[in-house]
Amino acid sequence: MDFLLNPYYLQIIMFIIINAILGISIYLTMATGQLSLGNAGFMSIGAYVSALLTLKAGVPLYVAVPVGGAAACLMAAVIGIPTTRLRGIYLAIATLGFGEVVRVVILNLTITNGALGLSGIPSMSVMLSKVFTAMGLAAGIGGMSVRQLGNISVIFILAIILGFLVFFALRLSTSRLGRAFAAIKADEHAAEVSGIDTRYYKLLAFFMGAFVAGIAGGLAAHITFYIGPKDFAYHRAVEILLFAVLGGSDVVWGPLLGSLILTLLPEVLRFATEYREMIYGGILVIMMAFRPQGLISEDTLGFWQKKLMSKSEASTQGEISRRTTR
Amino acid sequence: MFWQQMVNGITLGSTYALIALGYTLIFGVLNIVNMAHGEIFMFGAFVGLILATKFNIGIFGALLGAMVAGAVLGYLMERLALRPLRRRKVSELAPLISTIGVSIFLESLALRLFGPQAQSFPGVYSTQLFEIGGLKISAVQILILAISFGLMLVLRFWLSKTQLGKSIRATAENIETANLLGVDTQKIIVLTVMLASALGGGAGVLVGLAFNAIEPTMGITMGFKGLAVLILGGLGNITGAMVGGLLLGVAEVFSVAYGVSSYRDAVAFGLIIVLLFLRPQGLFGSQEQQGGR
Repeated sequence: MDFLLNPYYLQIIMFIIINAILGISIYLTMATGQLSLGNAGFMSIGAYVSALLTLKAGVPLYVAVPVGGAAACLMAAVIGIPTTRLRGIYLAIATLGFGEVVRVVILNLTITNGALGLSGIPSMSVMLSKVFTAMGLAAGIGGMSVRQLGNISVIFILAIILGFLVFFALRLSTSRLGRAFAAIKADEHAAEVSGIDTRYYKLLAFFMGAFVAGIAGGLAAHITFYIGPKDFAYHRAVEILLFAVLGGSDVVWGPLLGSLILTLLPEVLRFATEYREMIYGGILVIMMAFRPQGLISEDTLGFWQKKLMSKSEASTQGEISRRTTR
Repeated sequence: MFWQQMVNGITLGSTYALIALGYTLIFGVLNIVNMAHGEIFMFGAFVGLILATKFNIGIFGALLGAMVAGAVLGYLMERLALRPLRRRKVSELAPLISTIGVSIFLESLALRLFGPQAQSFPGVYSTQLFEIGGLKISAVQILILAISFGLMLVLRFWLSKTQLGKSIRATAENIETANLLGVDTQKIIVLTVMLASALGGGAGVLVGLAFNAIEPTMGITMGFKGLAVLILGGLGNITGAMVGGLLLGVAEVFSVAYGVSSYRDAVAFGLIIVLLFLRPQGLFGSQEQQGGR
């Protein structure tokens, strides 16, 4: 039990969930065929706003994190209204530039503590442990200490948020909105001609991506106690992009798988830590050359569904035939 | 003071223009934004540095070596990361993502090969100062201005007058038609990528001289500036890249001189965001170019 509840493993699980949320954020923008490299920037806004609110103003966490997301969303409006007029490469560069501007601004403001970053951000698990102590569970329950209990409940809360987002994304893809997104992704002109307000839907997708990235930033800040401008630089933007490129951006499971693999990979391949960026770079090139749609695409899902169906059919048939022969 | 800053700005801007030319050449021919250009530039700077310090060959030898190194890297990138994508139909974003991969690969390779600390060229050229009509201009600045403007002029002449230059322009205009008219477009593409990367490698040495600091992360910072210039001047536009580079250099130097020095790196993208509001096709881009709708 203690082995499984090792704080290190618990921390990794938390990071996997945070990265999965980031994967969903890039999936939402990519659902309309827009490549936004600004999600690291939106994440940093969410992280800084919510961390400053809890750290300096004493705002409770459950208010601070959504406010961080809203701030990212607001920023997305400022940057998004001019940039969603742009397509493809222009949008990618403009959003990359936006991330860079955010980083430089954070580096220079006094309230964000410049290059040193913010430290001592109230940690979610510590907060929850305190709550548990106040509830009279100072000794812990079921062999778990209060600290472990705090960590477990953080994971629980994160998992609920992730589950909700996945549910939302799945519902989205079968809704009117999702079909409009898919139409824009397939062919923007055709979508416009058939009466879809492409500008509105692209902006909406951009906002949703920014909001989710902001939430992920706020949550990440309250898990790690420290954030600095370096955490949200170019490499972060590339890493978030990798989730979608490796896993695939057609279906929501793609970025989820991508974030799971890419968060576990450096932990499993400890010896390869120094080569991590090189491996990432190689993955990007190889994926683009051999499987640009990512590991999971709609075809993959269909294939496995069919296979599993036929397998279960075959096994039931086998069962029947065995019974009859007996 | 004003003119002094102007000279500094133009010197800096001429190196930006050289970097942006590399982006623009590749975009013109391949319709690809080469995100790895900044890293090729950084490798050029390091190769130049090693040649100048370890092998003691002069600054021109270093420049030449850097350009050759850039061209070799460009060739490898074309073979490994761009050509496989051309074989089948992929979205226009695929090459962008692929070159992002090359960029982070090269950056971390440089970190391993050269170490994270900033290194500098031997200070032979930075000590001499000339005074022309009250303006102080250092030997390094003169060197940078001469080399970058020289390279730009040669490039312009070469593109407009020679057979190969004409083939490049024809390929940029329309790759299928050029192919039908007997241009070996495959060869032209390789040549363009190598030429652009060689310019990037050369710019690396010049920027190394100008800032007197070379480090593996400089590829990202300078690459971003080249990108800013690319958008500023209009994608695939050679005049735009030259003028846009000078403009960015001047804007940056003035922003440092008049107050907001720590925001220097944000100036480039501030300019872009303003420009995207007003003129999405870039300063010199024509109306029908893609981008804005």
